[in-house]
Amino acid sequence: MSPLTRRRLLASAGVGAAGIGLGASGYLVGRDTAEADEGTGSVPFYGEHQAGIDTPAQDRLHFAAFDLVDGSRTDLQEMLREWSRAAAEMTAGELIGDVNNERLAPPDDTGETVGLLPSRLTVTIGFGPGLFEHQSLGLAGQRPAALRTIPSLPADELDAAQSGGDICVQACSDDPQVAFHAIRNLARIGRGTVAMRWSQLGFGRTASTSRSQETPRNLMGFKDGTANIRAEDLEAMRRHVWLGAGDGPAWMRGGSYMVTRRIRMLLEVWDRSALSDQEETIGRAKYSGAPLGESEEFDPIDLEAEKNGKPAIPVDSHVRLASASVNDGERILRRGYSFTDGVDPRLGELDAGLFFICFQRDPEKQFVAIQRRLGANDALNEYIKHVGSAVFAVPPGARQGGYVGETLLG
Amino acid sequence: MTRTSLRAALIALGIGLVAVLAAGCGASEDAPKGAKKMAFKLTDAGCEPSAAKAPAGPINFEVENAGTSKVTEMEVLDGETVLGEKENLTEGLSGSFALTLEQGEYTIYCPGGDNERGTLTVSGKLDSKDSPEVEAAIAQYREYLKKNTDELVAKTTPFVAAVVAGNIAEAKALYPAARVPYERIEPVAESFGDLDPRIDARENDVPPSKFEGFHRIEKALWAENTAKGMAPVAEQLLADVKELQGKVKNVNLQAVQIANGANELLGEVSASKIEGAQVAFEAVEPLLVKSDPKLAKEIEASFKQVYASLDPYRDGAGFVSYEELTQADTRKLAREIDTLAEQLSQVPAQIVGG
Repeated sequence: MSPLTRRRLLASAGVGAAGIGLGASGYLVGRDTAEADEGTGSVPFYGEHQAGIDTPAQDRLHFAAFDLVDGSRTDLQEMLREWSRAAAEMTAGELIGDVNNERLAPPDDTGETVGLLPSRLTVTIGFGPGLFEHQSLGLAGQRPAALRTIPSLPADELDAAQSGGDICVQACSDDPQVAFHAIRNLARIGRGTVAMRWSQLGFGRTASTSRSQETPRNLMGFKDGTANIRAEDLEAMRRHVWLGAGDGPAWMRGGSYMVTRRIRMLLEVWDRSALSDQEETIGRAKYSGAPLGESEEFDPIDLEAEKNGKPAIPVDSHVRLASASVNDGERILRRGYSFTDGVDPRLGELDAGLFFICFQRDPEKQFVAIQRRLGANDALNEYIKHVGSAVFAVPPGARQGGYVGETLLG
Repeated sequence: MTRTSLRAALIALGIGLVAVLAAGCGASEDAPKGAKKMAFKLTDAGCEPSAAKAPAGPINFEVENAGTSKVTEMEVLDGETVLGEKENLTEGLSGSFALTLEQGEYTIYCPGGDNERGTLTVSGKLDSKDSPEVEAAIAQYREYLKKNTDELVAKTTPFVAAVVAGNIAEAKALYPAARVPYERIEPVAESFGDLDPRIDARENDVPPSKFEGFHRIEKALWAENTAKGMAPVAEQLLADVKELQGKVKNVNLQAVQIANGANELLGEVSASKIEGAQVAFEAVEPLLVKSDPKLAKEIEASFKQVYASLDPYRDGAGFVSYEELTQADTRKLAREIDTLAEQLSQVPAQIVGG
């Protein structure tokens, strides 16, 4: 029997070929082309940067943070090599591994994506500050100065069980099962070397990272990410997101720093506040997304504008405090997802909110500085609390045949 | 750390009294007495006139379709917010809507016309004389504010003295009673800039250098078991509550603010806040009874239900500490508070123009 592949299964089932851009040479179409086929295309795993940062935000997320449990530098190298190989297979819509049709052996691939399209899966791997403290790895001297646990910030209510981690994997896809499958299979491969510390499902993107995308709404019902950096803006990406020469250790060149925050929204309270309150809290009109005092979503935010003698955009509104002009021009690339994890056991209220993810060149100067301002003054704090926090160094992408992390461990 | 108030730890949620009315004060079908009449025609060109002027106050917009199939509605907008509209006016039909407008530039919007947008310029001061019912509501609530700030100063004074004297046990005993009057009136206290954070900020709400007031002292007494270094904090607290006492005497109140405050108090389950919400509600209840008697009855019933559910946890003059509640207890209380707060959130829109 010929090797089983997802692609082959798809073809024989008579689906999938339409709209994926399958060339005669196979499924590996260029990233730009693939992105045009939202939902069905495949995004290459290998490249200068890891995918999942400047990729137009997919609809679904499964994120996992792992702790190193044991193992030498060689074990970690081997795991990352296997992760990269598996990630490349999964993003291409292939089953992972070689043994999938052996009657007496458990299949390498867990199988729940058989028949599913690649669905623009991206797998993005990062290293937390704790990884560099494991003596057995001998990495202490290579920790970038910019990679430090996010300090305690105003309005934090962090839960250690939903924070931190030595290694992270961000799996994004337009199909939730494809994202889940990626995390599940990488966790399986990593067993013995790493253990999952916490994980988070995200059911809807809350940011646009490409001009080709509509601005989505978050669970507060407001458009989120209108003023986000767009991947097409290469100058902004270079200035705010990608690490260049001189940005810390050489092994991070072409990488970025990722900050995640699990932000619980107190939706019951938000839902019963008046429309005018909601709009003044955010600083935008709820339905059009326009900054208060303007009429269109993408109208510039005029912080000087006045209405009835008061600032049109209130001084404690979220858009004012988050805007680059009050943050020394600093911006971040936001790439978050809405989540819900059922019911808060103590109060019986919805445990839901925003799993915030952002990328930047320097967490201290960018995320931390912005959040310090927001945490102290943002009117939105009445309706949210930050309950999880983590930071990771996201190394550059891998070349074909190489692995993510090779610049650090190779 | 124990607290005598019954908290379901929904974190302190004061929403602030910024939520006053936008420029428009709600639309209604019936023209208020003394409303100015303004006639508009829908034509192929849009609204006619497309530029109009009016004095601030109630206006009745009388809209007539003068024979156009292109335009069937007229809206009045403040920025992008629709304040009032009349829709589905096909050829030959007419209708009206009423608005109370403050000074400002408004947009008259007749979608489909050649020129969709016109301007309505409103000038002069809104005659803000309230009805006797509204005045009574405000007077009643003002009295409650005075009573509670007086009590706040009276109960904070011995507490501060105990802290300054370094008497930890006495300070701990006096702390809860000093908190209660503050919690009852918190939404109003929040309207005075940084006075509320100075008195009542929690540790993570403010930068460490600005962490002062009740909760800083609470942390010293319970978590650190000392009053050392707290004398200046306590003295400042007393000065701050006295400042609050002076300020509420002249605070400019609106019925809608009082109603909003009732809702805001219920972001957190605490007996004193529920009481504060109830008094605020009762002050504006006569206004609500006129427009929505059913809602008024439902809210009364919900308050009763919440009090009944709190009853088993009474402990002398106060309540058992939050830690003693089971998960089933907290869920039941949170559910009832959510129901009540959802109902209370409907009140401000109902009493506008009352």
